[in-house]
Amino acid sequence: MAELTLDDVTKVFTEDDGNEITAVDEVSVDIEDGEFLVLVGPSGCGKSTTLRMIAGLETITTGEIRLAGRRINEKPPAERDIAMVFQSYALYPHMTVQQNMSFGLEESTEMNDDEIESKVADTAELMEIKELLDRKPSDLSGGQQQRVALGRAIVRAPEAFLMDEPLSNLDAKLRATMRTELQRIQDDLDVTTVYVTHDQTEAMTMGDRIAILNDGILQQVGTPLECYHTPNNRFVAGFIGDPSMNFFEMDVDGETLVIDRFEYPLKPAQQEAISGRSDVVFGIRPEDIRIKEPGGLSDNYQFEVTVDVVEPRGDENTIHLTFDRSVDDPVTFTATVSGLRNISAGDEVVATFPPDSIHLFDTDSGVAVHNRTFDSEDATHQVL
Amino acid sequence: MSTETGRAGERTLFGHSWRRIVLYLVLIGMGAFYLIPIETGLMTSIISPETYSGNFPYLPPLEPLVPGTGELSIEPWRGAIDGLGQGLVNSVILVVPATILSGLLGSMAAFGLTTISWRGQIGIYILFVAGIFIPYQAVLVPLTQFWYNVVPLRAAFEPLAALPLVETYHWKLLALIITHTAYGLPICTLLFRAHYKKLSDEMVEAAQLDGASVATIYRRIILPLSIPMFAVVFIYQFTQIWNDLLFALTIVQFGDAAVVTQDLVGIGVSQSGTNFPLRMAAALLAALPTLLVYIFFGDKFAKGVAA
Amino acid sequence: MRNPLTILRQRLEDHREVRADGGTATEAGSILDRDSVRSAPFWLPPFLLIGLFIYGAIIWNIVLSLTDFQGLGSPDYSALDFENYVIAFVGGTPSWSELTVSPVWNAAWNTVVLMVSFSVVCLAVGLVMAILVDQEIRFENTFRTIYLLPMSLSFVVTAKFWLYMYNVETGLVNIILGAVGVGPIEIVQNPDLKLAAVAFALIWQFSGYAMIVYLAGLRAIPTSHFEAARVDGASTIRMYWRVIIPQLRTATVSALVVLTVFSLKAFDFLFSMYGGYQPGPSADILATRMVREAYANGNWAYGSAIAVLLFIMALAIVAPYIYTQYQRGEL
Repeated sequence: MAELTLDDVTKVFTEDDGNEITAVDEVSVDIEDGEFLVLVGPSGCGKSTTLRMIAGLETITTGEIRLAGRRINEKPPAERDIAMVFQSYALYPHMTVQQNMSFGLEESTEMNDDEIESKVADTAELMEIKELLDRKPSDLSGGQQQRVALGRAIVRAPEAFLMDEPLSNLDAKLRATMRTELQRIQDDLDVTTVYVTHDQTEAMTMGDRIAILNDGILQQVGTPLECYHTPNNRFVAGFIGDPSMNFFEMDVDGETLVIDRFEYPLKPAQQEAISGRSDVVFGIRPEDIRIKEPGGLSDNYQFEVTVDVVEPRGDENTIHLTFDRSVDDPVTFTATVSGLRNISAGDEVVATFPPDSIHLFDTDSGVAVHNRTFDSEDATHQVL
Repeated sequence: MSTETGRAGERTLFGHSWRRIVLYLVLIGMGAFYLIPIETGLMTSIISPETYSGNFPYLPPLEPLVPGTGELSIEPWRGAIDGLGQGLVNSVILVVPATILSGLLGSMAAFGLTTISWRGQIGIYILFVAGIFIPYQAVLVPLTQFWYNVVPLRAAFEPLAALPLVETYHWKLLALIITHTAYGLPICTLLFRAHYKKLSDEMVEAAQLDGASVATIYRRIILPLSIPMFAVVFIYQFTQIWNDLLFALTIVQFGDAAVVTQDLVGIGVSQSGTNFPLRMAAALLAALPTLLVYIFFGDKFAKGVAA
Repeated sequence: MRNPLTILRQRLEDHREVRADGGTATEAGSILDRDSVRSAPFWLPPFLLIGLFIYGAIIWNIVLSLTDFQGLGSPDYSALDFENYVIAFVGGTPSWSELTVSPVWNAAWNTVVLMVSFSVVCLAVGLVMAILVDQEIRFENTFRTIYLLPMSLSFVVTAKFWLYMYNVETGLVNIILGAVGVGPIEIVQNPDLKLAAVAFALIWQFSGYAMIVYLAGLRAIPTSHFEAARVDGASTIRMYWRVIIPQLRTATVSALVVLTVFSLKAFDFLFSMYGGYQPGPSADILATRMVREAYANGNWAYGSAIAVLLFIMALAIVAPYIYTQYQRGEL
């Protein structure tokens, strides 16, 4: 077990026609000993390339990767003391589960057969696959193959685990179970883990911290709650959270933000944060918007809006709202309300945008200039 | 046309039952076309040459039931074994090592050019593929020069002839083994590469992370997974090398090292005319190994030729 | 378990770790880390083997074709010229012989006729049979096995069988012709029928191959295409002609290339059919002419020149095929 450091790691691919493509651009992350870091981003963002550079399956163009303080750039994969779980599981089809799990120990350690057998048996016990040891991968279900793939990584007791979308081939129900199971195992073993996924729910629920990549550039590293409540920029704000945050591109008019039929008054601290700007992107999460029955506006943060579409999700409803349905291309946004509330399209309601829940981003760069009120200490206490 | 072929997904050209009958008749007729030359040869090969008249070559010897069909005899086959014996032995000495070598080297080449991927490998691979289509005539004279005038293989074999089972003329078979290995390599590499392209890259990467060297990946992962393909390749190569005449004719030329196809060319012809029963028996005997392989492993043979 | 290569690599790495301290890593790393080098023990020996025996021999053959190498002894590489090619095209008395040597036009013409008729008929027969076999028939495997059976035979064996089939007195072909009141006809030694007889026997041997390739092509077409054509009301013939056969283009091309190359290799068959190097002018092809010039007449250099022409013919067919395969990423 060891800490893993990525220091300005860059990967440039050269295509056959000589074009250079920067897949990973100066990514720096410190992953602590025993930490579970989730690397998340849309497809093609460079997260898998980053993982493969850590594994040694891709060369590193510039920068340095250190494991336990030692540079590993030039080490071949086998000598990095890292185990990886692949999306396709990559089990050896001609070997039994037992042989699959022994292979790495036979090839990379000096252990004798008895030691290997007992290590495999222990790991099989932990993974609850003892009765599968004599079977071949083709006789196993997807979930069982997944466990074997994990077992094969665990049995080598590596310094770090790398996981490349390991749950994406499972059906939704099994995926949820395995998510919890993986967290339990990682907690037990306390091994530094880098987990790649495109699924922000997995990132939010599994990671000690998450690192969000877009276009090869690291957008933010932080705990799930930090990334959720205090996103560094508009990309992170939009990527984390489902349904996604609402954004309005607004003009600054003194103490208020203005767009078509929507005017929002700013508090002094917020005014200060955007001073000197003529326009700004206003953001608010659907779950922060409060919806009540029509009947008078009590303050400037309330707006009369019309329900456009209702998407029932069971536990809650996602409702699409507009300020004015009569104009072409009206400004719309989404809000979530309890699934028990009876709301239907066409209803007139009042939406409240609480001033301590809003985010403001620079229009051009997308950088967050003001985030909602969030105290991570508080948040931790509330969770407990 | 037919509206009665309602079954979804049915590709039938012949909907009505009488059409199916015509279909089967055509199929059986074609089957007869492909089988009759072989069947005729077989029937003729079991007729005693003394009573052979050639009247009903496609009938078994039924004399006296059907006059003119001759008497049953194993004499042609005995004659074929006498005439081809040495050639059969030489062919076996040639085919077994050449098949194994070309298969093994082909698998190694495909592994080095497919499973381990690197820039520029496609250029090397194209040279392998092009080798499949080279007409052998384009290399015959250099090959003859090479084996007769450049490599002192014959001189090397002279002292070896003192050993049991080794004869001086075996140098020609060694030359033929090496030549067939080289010319079998391209197709073997192509067949193995098609197979290796389907193997998962992640599996090979997993083995790399597990600490396996390139050689270990080949020996412990790729080779065991190639067994079905080895069957296809071995069957294909066995047939090709066993059936070859041209290389034998130009490298062995004549003498004790002649292989079975060479011996077969001249068998059954004499001053007194053609001995058809002997000739047919010899043709069948020479074809027997490949026919047996084909009948027992036909599906794998089909896979090899269709690739 | 460590091989010398790994140890060497390890040493180089240790060395580099000192040197590279604080510096940036290079993209390629040590030359021994490159995958091309690590995999070289696998692909290089086979590559050298084909490099020497195939490509080395082709180049050597081209050089030989420029010499006057004839008869016994060894070639003289000091005086190279194109005389053999001039002889091949226009004939005449070359400097290395007292006899007049005829040009190769006759053999070249026969080669093309055999190649085209054999390939085209094989494809046509193969396609029809593939469609018939694809009609969800019973005993499909048995039929397929029978149709492909001749392919497992050697050219020499096929020649023996057909020599017997074509025989004037006892051959089955003449028996059948006799039954319809024709013949008996001399086939094998008949200048008008020779080449057709050769082509027919080769079609017997290889049309099953075309069927297998087409059948694989047909099976690769999704059933929905057959259904869609049916729903559109196309008749069966129109369905095959308009919808299915156009989709078999790749199968056609690859079968055609392979069959053409087979026909260029038909030497074995002719040698066996005519019991030697002399099939006679009406069945002489470049392949037999080349071997005859070199191995029967001892005109080695002239044989090499004919071989170069044959090689160019093969290249003209194969090179575009390999190039398109490469373009499509199918190699």
